[in-house]
Amino acid sequence: MSKAVGNPMLLRWIDYNKCIGCGVCSAVCDFTHNGIPFIKLYDIGGGLIKPISCFHCTKAPCIEVCPTKAMKRDDDGAVYVDESRCIGCLACLYACPYGIPELSTATKTSIKCDLCKQLRGDGLEPACVAMCPTKAIVMGMPQVVFDEAKKRALTRIMKAVMSFGGPV
Amino acid sequence: MVGGLAVLAIPSYRIPYDNVVEGVEDLTKSFGVKLYLNTKVMCGERHDEGDDFVKQVVDLRDIAKEYNAVIITTGTWRSRKLGVSGEDAKGVVDALTFLYRLRLAEYGLVKEPWPKVRKVIVVGAGLSAIDAAEEALRLGAEEVYLVYRRTKKEAPAGEYYINDLIAKGIKWIELAAPTKIVVENGFAKAVEFQRMRLGPPDKTGRPAPIPIPGSEFVIEAELVISAVGEVSTPPFTQECAELRQFLDEKGYIVSRGYRLGNTNMFVAGDVLTGPTKLGEACRNGLYAAKDAERFLRGV
Ligand code: SF4
Ligand code: SF4
Repeated sequence: MSKAVGNPMLLRWIDYNKCIGCGVCSAVCDFTHNGIPFIKLYDIGGGLIKPISCFHCTKAPCIEVCPTKAMKRDDDGAVYVDESRCIGCLACLYACPYGIPELSTATKTSIKCDLCKQLRGDGLEPACVAMCPTKAIVMGMPQVVFDEAKKRALTRIMKAVMSFGGPV
Repeated sequence: MVGGLAVLAIPSYRIPYDNVVEGVEDLTKSFGVKLYLNTKVMCGERHDEGDDFVKQVVDLRDIAKEYNAVIITTGTWRSRKLGVSGEDAKGVVDALTFLYRLRLAEYGLVKEPWPKVRKVIVVGAGLSAIDAAEEALRLGAEEVYLVYRRTKKEAPAGEYYINDLIAKGIKWIELAAPTKIVVENGFAKAVEFQRMRLGPPDKTGRPAPIPIPGSEFVIEAELVISAVGEVSTPPFTQECAELRQFLDEKGYIVSRGYRLGNTNMFVAGDVLTGPTKLGEACRNGLYAAKDAERFLRGV
């Protein structure tokens, strides 16, 4: 079963309002994946720098198109590459709306974020989630993430509405 | 206080203090890390920003003898000077000190960080400059000027953040560099600037600012914040005979890897690379720790 459509138990969301583009997420990802970060920052112009990583789509096109069923979804909902099956054709990259999968020159397979499968196995959070100094990366059960997103938005609105000559 | 620039200089609206404290508590409680606070490690003499908190100085050479390995991550706690007359007047301050005192006030460690000011000039366009300018606005200054010798396009902080500040009410002046600070009774009163034009690329690859003679103009200010860069502050100076081999003529560390020669000392973060963003310093720190761990295992 390839589980192209899944019910994610875990959802990761990057709160771009909080993110300051410091690159800590990418640094710790790089370190935990032997020098290859799966969350990367780009300057989209004028010095606005933000990270992007796999969205672990609920209806993942990368899983749908994979001819060898190497692109899989684990029980938590994380989409990952089974390297033993992957032939490095990068059909996943063509299918991904966000250009996420990359080709590893070492394993000759597609590689991408697996939400730190190993760390999660040890009961830990993915490195980026654990280390972001602004708590911009939120991960949890979907409803928990949705609620947190709305609470943060509400906080921003209230700060703007209720501050009388307060902070800029 | 633990946490470096993330706690002591970067404004709390960017990185909330509690987030760093959580990390520090994790280190001390879950990993048994022991902290020695108010302690400056040094071989040789040098004044750095934040020295007012030092209660004891220990010699780096003693520490290196006492411990199996040492990782040096002392950062960039010195500010570049503007290099103009009047710089020592009251009301002239470097961005690091300006931000640092604001944070101390937030933590209740100093009473009044800065007296109320109406007009502020920030010189520079890096991350410290934009943080200082925004904090000056938040302090209630009526006019905050951000003055840079090149244009928005070359600003190290990036056009986006400059535009953001302009939208918040900062007055942006590009292609101008300070020539002197006008001082009255020991206090800064104004800054004289000279207009610049962009010439061919300099060493840094960016167009060199070239002064336009006779183009001087003056802006009044009660507070002048110089934000023209920070430099690394290694825990040893040229006076330290044993370690001076690891310094260049400017006093910066030269090292091929994270390990200092064949010593049991490693170095990481901004003290090694010069000012970077947190992520780069963090990546460095992780790999240096990995090298130190290998060294301790003897492989
Ligand atoms: S660590 Fe957090 S704040 Fe820094 S770039 Fe990543 S998401 Fe943004
Ligand atoms: S690789 Fe692309 S398509 Fe696949 S789950 Fe991630 S974001 Fe979605």
